Amino acid sequence: MSKSTNKKLLLSSLSACVALSVSANATAQDSVFVGHLADMSGPTAFVGKVYADGVRDSLAYINANGGISGTKLEYETIDYAYKVPQAIAAYKKWKSRKNMVVMQGWGTADTEALISFVARDKTPVFSASYSGHLTDPTGKNPHTKKPAPYNFFYGASYSDACRGLVQWAAKDWQSKGNKGKPKFTHIGANHPFPNAPKAACAEYAQELGFEVMPPVVISMKPGDFKAQCLSIKSSGSNYGYIGNLGGSVLSLVKSCNTVGTDIQFMSNIWGGDKKVFEAAGEGIKNYIFPTMTPFWTDNVPGMKLVKEISKMSDKSGEESRLHHYMRGVCSTYFMKEAMEWAKENGGITGENVKKGMYVHKNWVPKGLEGVCLAANWTVEDHRGVNQVNIYQGNFNGGNVQIEQVSQVTLDRRDDWLGY
Amino acid sequence: MSSLTMRPCGDFRTSYKQDNTIFETKTIRYAAILSIIALCFAPLLVDSYFITLLIQISYLGIAALGLNILVGYTGQISLGHGAFFGFGAFASAWLNTSFSIPVFLCIPLAGFLTMGVGMMFGAPAARIKGLYLAIATLASQFIIEDFFARADWFSGGSAGSMAEPINLFGFVFDTDQSFYYIALFALVFMYIWGCNLMRSRDGRAFVAVRDHYLSAEIMGVKLNKYRLLSFGVSSFYAGIGGALYAHYLGYVSAEGFTIFMSVQFLAMIIIGGLGSIKGTLMGVIFMVFLPEALEGGVGLMKMTEWGNIPMVVDGLAYIKEMAIGLVIIGFLIFEPEGLAHRWTQIKNYWKFYPFAY
Repeated sequence: MSKSTNKKLLLSSLSACVALSVSANATAQDSVFVGHLADMSGPTAFVGKVYADGVRDSLAYINANGGISGTKLEYETIDYAYKVPQAIAAYKKWKSRKNMVVMQGWGTADTEALISFVARDKTPVFSASYSGHLTDPTGKNPHTKKPAPYNFFYGASYSDACRGLVQWAAKDWQSKGNKGKPKFTHIGANHPFPNAPKAACAEYAQELGFEVMPPVVISMKPGDFKAQCLSIKSSGSNYGYIGNLGGSVLSLVKSCNTVGTDIQFMSNIWGGDKKVFEAAGEGIKNYIFPTMTPFWTDNVPGMKLVKEISKMSDKSGEESRLHHYMRGVCSTYFMKEAMEWAKENGGITGENVKKGMYVHKNWVPKGLEGVCLAANWTVEDHRGVNQVNIYQGNFNGGNVQIEQVSQVTLDRRDDWLGY
Repeated sequence: MSSLTMRPCGDFRTSYKQDNTIFETKTIRYAAILSIIALCFAPLLVDSYFITLLIQISYLGIAALGLNILVGYTGQISLGHGAFFGFGAFASAWLNTSFSIPVFLCIPLAGFLTMGVGMMFGAPAARIKGLYLAIATLASQFIIEDFFARADWFSGGSAGSMAEPINLFGFVFDTDQSFYYIALFALVFMYIWGCNLMRSRDGRAFVAVRDHYLSAEIMGVKLNKYRLLSFGVSSFYAGIGGALYAHYLGYVSAEGFTIFMSVQFLAMIIIGGLGSIKGTLMGVIFMVFLPEALEGGVGLMKMTEWGNIPMVVDGLAYIKEMAIGLVIIGFLIFEPEGLAHRWTQIKNYWKFYPFAY
C-alpha cells in the first residue's frame, strides 16, 4: 500500500475526531433545549418527513415570536433513520451536553427504547407513536406491562382510533341494511407498530358483534399482495383495518383492486393521506381513515397560524402540507404551552412541564382552534384525545375527494387504559 | 530473545509457546493492560454521551466477535445474527421476570439459551455451504423475528418486555457510568475468551474447516461437529451482547432486531477484518463512531449561517446515510482485509522506518 493512502486514512480519522469533539455547547443565557428525533431517510420517512417539518417549523416559529414567554428555544433535529442505537446516542448526547428539558420523538422503536431513560431522567417525550401502551402513566391497569410516566402524544391512541373505526363500521353495516355478522380483518405487518392495536381492536370488534377473522400479514415494504388479497376475498371479510403506512398501503390497494375484493378498507392514522390516494389511483374507493386535524384546505380559524408556521420553511406559502404536518404542529404547541406554565410555576424543568400537561381541561393551544382537538391529560390517564374524526377518501378519476363521514368519541374505559 | 520488548524483523518463533502467545511482544501486552486501566477512568473524564457510545461498542463488539468466529474463522456465513442478538435480549429479560433469577446470572444463561437456539438452526446449516447456507440463516432471521412478534409469553409480543437493571449485592447498575463497568468487564472477558478459543485445538479446527474442509476432514476434523460448534459459540456471543443491551436499556422491543441489524454486524466484521479479533473491535468502533462523526459534521454545518436551512440539513441527512454504504463499498474495494490489515501495514511502516523498501 502506498504512503499516500496511509496519510489519507490518518487525515480522515483525525478530522472525524475533530468533528466528534466539537459539540455545540454555546448555550445562550436564557434558553432551554428541545431535542427532535426525526426519520427522514429510514423506513418510515414517507410520513416521517412531513411530521418532522411540522415540528421543526413550529419550533422555529415559536422562537421567531418570543419563544417560551421570552425564553429562547434551542433545538436540534437529528435524523436517526429509525435506528434505535442512534436514537439512544442522540438522546444521551442531548441529555449530557445540552441539558435537554423536553424531547419531540418519532416512532415506536425509539419511543419504546427510551421509556426507562426518560422516566429516570424526568424528561417528557412527545412522540408520534400513538401506541396504546404509552397511555398508562402509573400502571393502574394490570394489563400494562410498563408504566410510561413521561410519555405524551397528541391524538387518539392506535387502539382507540381503531375502536372508533370499528364503531363506525358497526353503524355502517346497519345503515346499509345488511343482515348477519359482519367480518373484521386486521391487515398489517407483524411488527410492533401495526400490531399495537391488533388485540385491543379485535376484542372490541367482537364486543360489537363482529366476527373477527384471522389477521392477514402484509409486509411493511411495498410488494405484490395479490395472494393476501385473494385470501381476503375468499374469506368474505367486510371490514379490513390496515395497520401499515405509505408504499405498503399503496401496494395493498392496487393488488386488491386487481383481484377485485369487496372489502371496506379502514386505515390507521398514518395510512391515509392525499399523497397515498393520488398514487394508489382507482383502488381508492370510499377509503376510510381517521384524522386528528383538519386538512390543509379546510377553513378553520386555527389554519391561519398553521399557514404562518409553514412559511418558516416554505417562504412562498404555496406548498400544501399533508395532515400529518398539523399533528406535528399540535404536538409542539401543547409542549409549548406546558412549558409556559412551567416557567411561571417554578421554572422550565422536565418535572414542571409534565405537571403543566395536567393543568388545562379541554385544552386547545392558543391560535390553533379548530386545528388541534381538545385534549385532557390527567395524572393517571395519558389518553389526551379520545375523539376520532373519520374521513372518507375517493380517487374520483384523479380529482381526489376527501370528506368527513363521522365523528366518534370513545369512552375512557378503565380496562382500555394502557391497552 | 527471552525478554522480547521489540519485535524482530521477521518471524523467529521457535517454540509453541511463542507461537501461541496472545500478545506478540511485551510492549503490546503493557499497552493493552494500560489501555484497559485507562478505560476504567473514562467515566471521570468524558461525559455520558461518550460513555453511551463505549457501552454500545461493548455490546455490539461482543456480538460481532461471535459473528467473526463463525464467518471469519470458520468460513460459514450467517445473515441471522441480529435475530440471535435479539433472542439473547429477550431471553435474559424473560428469565429474570418469569423465574426471578438474578440478572447477573440471567446474562450468561441467556447466552446459553441463545447458543441452543443457534445450534438448532445451525444443525441443518452445518451440512450446507455457501449461498444455500446464507439463505438458511436468512430463514432463521425471519423465523426468530416472527417469533418475537407472536410469542407473548416470551417477548411480550408487540408490547415488548421489561428488563430490570443489573443488581449486584444491593448495588444497582442503572446509570450509564455504573453500567459502563459491567460492559467493559464483559467486553474484556469475552475478548480474552475469544483469543483463547482461537489458540486452542477447537479454534485451530475452525480455521482448518475454513481453509480447506476436505483436508481438514482427512486430518480427522469432524466437519459437522465444528460447524455446529461454531454456530453455537457465535450465538452464545450474540446472546451475551443482546442480554447486555436489554439490561442497559431496561426495555426490549421486537422492532430493532431486523435483517438490517444482521447486515450491520456483517459490515462491522468486514470493515474490521474477517478472521481477526482486534479487527472485530476496530470495525465496531468504526461503525459506532461513523454516524456520530457524520452527525457532528452535520451539526457543524448547521452552526454556520448558510448551512442552517432545511434543504442543506436534510440533504446532509441523506448524505450521512449514503456515506455508511459508501464506506462499506470503499472498504471492499480498497481494503478487503479490513482495518486490522491496515493497522498491521501502518505498524510495519513505522517498524521499518525509514528503510521501508
